[in-house]
Amino acid sequence: MAGSSAVLEDGSGLSRLDQSLHRIEKFLALISGLAVFSLMVLAVVSVGGRNTMNMPLPGYVDWIEQIMPLIAFLGIAYTQRDGGHIRMDILVGRLKGRALWGAEFLTALITLCLMIFMVWGSWEHFLRSFDFGSPLWSRDSSIDIGIPIWPAKLLAPIAFSVLCLRLCLQIWGYARAFTLGLVEPVAVPLVMSAAAQAAEEAQHVSGIDEDEETR
Amino acid sequence: MEPIDIGLWVSGFLLLTVLLGMRVAFAAGMAGMIGLVWIFWNKFGYDPSRFMKALTIAVKTAGQVPHSKVSSQALSLIPTFILIGYLAYYAGLTKALFEAAKRWIAWVPGGLAVSTVFATAGFAAVSGASVATAAVFARIAIPEMLKIGYDKRFAAGVVAAGGTLASLIPPSAILVIYAIIVEQDVGKLLLAGFIPGAFSAVIYGLLIIGMAVTIKGFGPPVRGFTWKQRFESLPPAFPIFFVVFIIIFFIYNPFGGDAWGTPTEGGALGAFVVFLMAAYRGMRWAQFKDALLETAKLSAMIFTIIWGVLIYVRFLGFADLPGAFSDWITSLHQSPMLTLIYILLAYAVLGMFMDAIGMLLLTLPVVYPAVMALNGGEFVSAADSAFGMSGPMCAIWFGILVVKMAEFCLITPPIGLNCFVVAGVRPDLSVQDVFRGVTPFFVADAVTIGLLIAFPSIVLWLPSLA
Repeated sequence: MAGSSAVLEDGSGLSRLDQSLHRIEKFLALISGLAVFSLMVLAVVSVGGRNTMNMPLPGYVDWIEQIMPLIAFLGIAYTQRDGGHIRMDILVGRLKGRALWGAEFLTALITLCLMIFMVWGSWEHFLRSFDFGSPLWSRDSSIDIGIPIWPAKLLAPIAFSVLCLRLCLQIWGYARAFTLGLVEPVAVPLVMSAAAQAAEEAQHVSGIDEDEETR
Repeated sequence: MEPIDIGLWVSGFLLLTVLLGMRVAFAAGMAGMIGLVWIFWNKFGYDPSRFMKALTIAVKTAGQVPHSKVSSQALSLIPTFILIGYLAYYAGLTKALFEAAKRWIAWVPGGLAVSTVFATAGFAAVSGASVATAAVFARIAIPEMLKIGYDKRFAAGVVAAGGTLASLIPPSAILVIYAIIVEQDVGKLLLAGFIPGAFSAVIYGLLIIGMAVTIKGFGPPVRGFTWKQRFESLPPAFPIFFVVFIIIFFIYNPFGGDAWGTPTEGGALGAFVVFLMAAYRGMRWAQFKDALLETAKLSAMIFTIIWGVLIYVRFLGFADLPGAFSDWITSLHQSPMLTLIYILLAYAVLGMFMDAIGMLLLTLPVVYPAVMALNGGEFVSAADSAFGMSGPMCAIWFGILVVKMAEFCLITPPIGLNCFVVAGVRPDLSVQDVFRGVTPFFVADAVTIGLLIAFPSIVLWLPSLA
């Protein structure tokens, strides 16, 4: 079940690190959101050009394929920060105190292992298409208009590295909560009740109704 | 050790980590990674000096999955659909739709509830997300229903159930994900969702009318709208019609001839219209930024789980677990139809504890080939098949059934998310109230699923034209 959660903040070193990293993550996520918006604009230009001037946008599909990694990867750490990646919390949701932080610590640690491997693997994947000696530093290019593919491939190790940083912070946060036996630790997503999640979900879709009433 | 044993051990590890509350995307990715290392090292006879080599091959194999799998044109539909959904609130489409539905159909018995169902169905046509739909309509429709004397539990149930319609009616994000995982045509699947989605809405409507006629003191009809008022309610809801029109024409041209473009372009154009409408209605930068960030978050969640699961799938291929499962399923001495029904029931149970997207992505790589094998293989003709439909058609039919099951699970206890959302929006209602109110709609959904199984042509007629 999906889970966006609250992250508490205070003036401690850990929390300040969390907040600075959050700013970077938010910036990357906003780029990802703008990339979605650019998909829309591209389609309008492409369809409009094809139908009104008989001039389809050259390399439309190539561009989409370049934009997709932006959307797919850049928000990954931002989502992890808030606990937005889905999981089954039917069991962890019932744990409390040290048992909860122990389980969270363990899964975050396994995730960090995976992401370190993924940074390595996706970097290798990038290296295969990157070459200083070739034109545009590129060994391969998109099918239609020949855009180099390495910048899109590079996004994966970059975004995954940011996620690794985030995971290190969370592991620290959980370890701290575990050793100190905290109830509401900072810098880690807290498990929210389904009702609290629902309230948050509803909050994102409200606003406009109230605006209308006051207008 | 045989590859198949490695497959089973690693799948057990996956199950364990998922139960432990590890994020599904990472649990699947890690299981895939461990499995790949194990399989390769197994090939080297567990020679310690060659462990690093096995690890390197595994990491390189897994490392190319994220980029190569997400940079696809078909997948670009998902973020655009999500963005449309978020922008639609700012475009004021929800209120406009509810108002229009009320003026046009609230004169039937149980009218306001029926209007709510059709307004949610209409909103589903611009939004691919069930939970959000339920949240919005809980704010708009429940107060109006309470005002004219509906039982509050029933009113909440209507909204929770109506929200589920978004998973089938195009544009449905979950159907796109299904299409990607099973490598079928996205356009045809989206198109296939249309009639079953509308059909579900009609069944809900009939159920409400039936209840209104038989139960005394149920919500009264709402009459007295003039034709002028009715037509006046249409223009604010116009973008919905436009988006539906665009998406349909970009998938399939009903007047013959080629479709006007690709579903990708259709979705993106639809999003642009909704964006213009939202801008016209005074959406500010802060709201737009919020919509973009939420879109980024949901997209990252979905794409991460897609590449995570695909790493696991790559490993499964080496371990040939899907093949073994298919062999086992087809060797059962019972009718394929009964087996299919068991599979769907298993989904109903699983869906009670798991998020729909996670559930489908984790299970489909193994279950889908088995279902195809049950029907007689991927390229079987309709005449030779067990379910009386060709391979590609079976893929579409099974997809719709599975997604319908997944949406059914959005309203079943204990974690039916839509019910929690409605209860969360309405402080005067407990989750138990909503679950009680939604009970009649289980029955309606069970009937719908039964009909879709008994008459596959409800699903397959439209895509067979395209």
